[in-house]
Amino acid sequence: MSRFFKAERVLLALALAIPLFDLLLEAVGLQEWRVGNETCQRVLIFAIMGLGLNVVVGYTGLLHLGVAAFMAIGVYAYAILTCNIYPYQIGFWWALLLAPAICAGAGVFLGSPTLRLRGDYLAIVTLGFGEIVQDVLKNVPTITKGTQGINPLPPPSVPGYTFNLTVYEPWYYLYLAILVGLVVIVRNLENSRLGRQWMSIREDELAATCMGINATKTKLLAFAIAAAICGLAGVLWASKLSSTADPTSYDFNVSITVLCLLIVGGLGSLRGVMAGTGIVMGFDILLQKITEALQREGLTSSASVFLTPTNWKFLAFGLALVLMMRFRPEGIFPSNRMKGELRVERAEPGVTGVGVE
Amino acid sequence: MSLLDVRKVTMRFGGLTAVNQVDITVEPGQIFSVIGPNGAGKTTVFNTITGIYEPTEGTVLFQGRDLRRPFSRNVAAGIAVIAVLTGALAVIALHLESMWTATVASHYRFRQPFPWGKAWGDLFAFLGHNGASVALSFVLGAALGGAGAFVVWRRQRRTPNVIAEQGVCRTFQNIRLFQDMTVLENVLMGMDMRLGSRLWHMAFRLPRQGREEREAAGQAATLLEFVGLRDRAGMLAKNLPYGDQRRLEIARALATRPKLLLLDEPAAGMNPAESGDLMKLIRRIRETGVTVLLIEHHMKVVMGISDRIAVLDYGSKIAEGTPEEVRSNPRVIEAYLGKEEIS
Repeated sequence: MSRFFKAERVLLALALAIPLFDLLLEAVGLQEWRVGNETCQRVLIFAIMGLGLNVVVGYTGLLHLGVAAFMAIGVYAYAILTCNIYPYQIGFWWALLLAPAICAGAGVFLGSPTLRLRGDYLAIVTLGFGEIVQDVLKNVPTITKGTQGINPLPPPSVPGYTFNLTVYEPWYYLYLAILVGLVVIVRNLENSRLGRQWMSIREDELAATCMGINATKTKLLAFAIAAAICGLAGVLWASKLSSTADPTSYDFNVSITVLCLLIVGGLGSLRGVMAGTGIVMGFDILLQKITEALQREGLTSSASVFLTPTNWKFLAFGLALVLMMRFRPEGIFPSNRMKGELRVERAEPGVTGVGVE
Repeated sequence: MSLLDVRKVTMRFGGLTAVNQVDITVEPGQIFSVIGPNGAGKTTVFNTITGIYEPTEGTVLFQGRDLRRPFSRNVAAGIAVIAVLTGALAVIALHLESMWTATVASHYRFRQPFPWGKAWGDLFAFLGHNGASVALSFVLGAALGGAGAFVVWRRQRRTPNVIAEQGVCRTFQNIRLFQDMTVLENVLMGMDMRLGSRLWHMAFRLPRQGREEREAAGQAATLLEFVGLRDRAGMLAKNLPYGDQRRLEIARALATRPKLLLLDEPAAGMNPAESGDLMKLIRRIRETGVTVLLIEHHMKVVMGISDRIAVLDYGSKIAEGTPEEVRSNPRVIEAYLGKEEIS
């Protein structure tokens, strides 16, 4: 238990310190190397996505390859509800509540006919859903403006202050606070009756239903919660970008990246999700910074594919996954349970001491 | 009234008849055993009782009632709501852009208040104007949604969780514990359907949830005490010795507060001392008012504790009666105990 809190605290401290680190870089004249803005836009958002996907894949054990679709629904719900080319204009905070609710509805809509499927089949259905959502958004231009995307979207504002895109710190701390709040909620769920139901379905669905668990309902709830969390991530993403971007940016790559962070960090473990996101997205940002530096120095151009470090991303990523699966399949910070499931274990006698409370 | 009444149940898998016209009647408070050689269809009978299989023919009555969920007014209302929603969704999906243009896009002027009343009026005007196609898409969508909801409901009428809710719970021949959960959590899973904390209680850790969890843990501890696993509550289920895993499965099933407990070969793989303990445990379970239906191979266990025994062979019931009657029944001896060995 104490180890859990320690890892969590270190991660939180790191996250809190990044804007200060940026200030330091600025003071010594290295402002091009500042990472806070990218961290805010990528690490925090993807951590929230990972949190959502972890509920479905990590706790409930359903392979879900379409989280980007729910992110896209969140993005467009936010855009349509707040942008001034539409009549609704309900503002950031209401949209922050309403868009995830819409996504949860979409999750139930997708889940109710399909959750009887198992394993690979469910994965294919969710994959298909991801493609459909993208296509629909692209092909109803009267509403979604097609590939142009909807912009500008209003930034969040609190009485007396409106967030603005040139100063990233308020966004950063707002998003971090939301992330921490979500981590607490998801951890509460994990340690509750619902978390137990999810795990029992992952371990043995038949035995769980024989104990009176309504498996469909439980899975549907996991699906809806994941959809809502990913929708929330979409809202935050769009509001920081001030645009929905092109619908094709919410494609399979996003879904699979989120899945990869979970696998690298450790399925079913919250600190695993956080650490996995930090490592994968942090590496991504680092490559981007190196590329930018090389370009500033004129050492590379965007034309040369091999000399541009951002293009190494998937190479390194793939290699890391292969090594991970070979040497530590349970992830960097595995949950105690998943470790047991993924490793063929020597029977270890004695008390393992995973209490309920 | 008998507690469980299996009437002429037949279960076929393709051309194979696993269970053929079997009748079993269990009275409240009995320990009723089903025996028979391997492959006689005992576990299949259990599976039809607990809703894992739907019997091809015949009925299973529990306390005189069919275990199916009845078609109530609520079910009809739920299906109707789903049908209307899918119908509306179909209308929206098929007329998305023209509806948007007619209602929102044609009225909204940048930075001017939106005339909601007019937009709603135009929505209905639009629906009326395109009456035929709107009605057609609504009917098709509603039919699809309603039919889908009905099919799903029908298939879930007799799932294991419905049957568990009514007070029938079972253990499995090949132990199916939640291996990576603790002993205590396994028992809590059995109690789960009696716990009532809602999503928001759990998400925000409201006091009600904590209270409920503590009470549940207390009750689970009592149950673990009952089966003799009190001091192992914190262990992972997979680390328990084999006999304890069997007992934990019984505790988990008891946690659902069943009226009828189905035990599928609880003594399999146990040594004589362990199966002796198990017999005592089953008797104690009966004393708490739970009726027990048992599949077992250990003749010592079966003959020692059963009030009544049914014998299956090749899917058919060949004998039923008290242990003495069954023991001396020539057909049983021939089919099951062997011709030479009359003990």
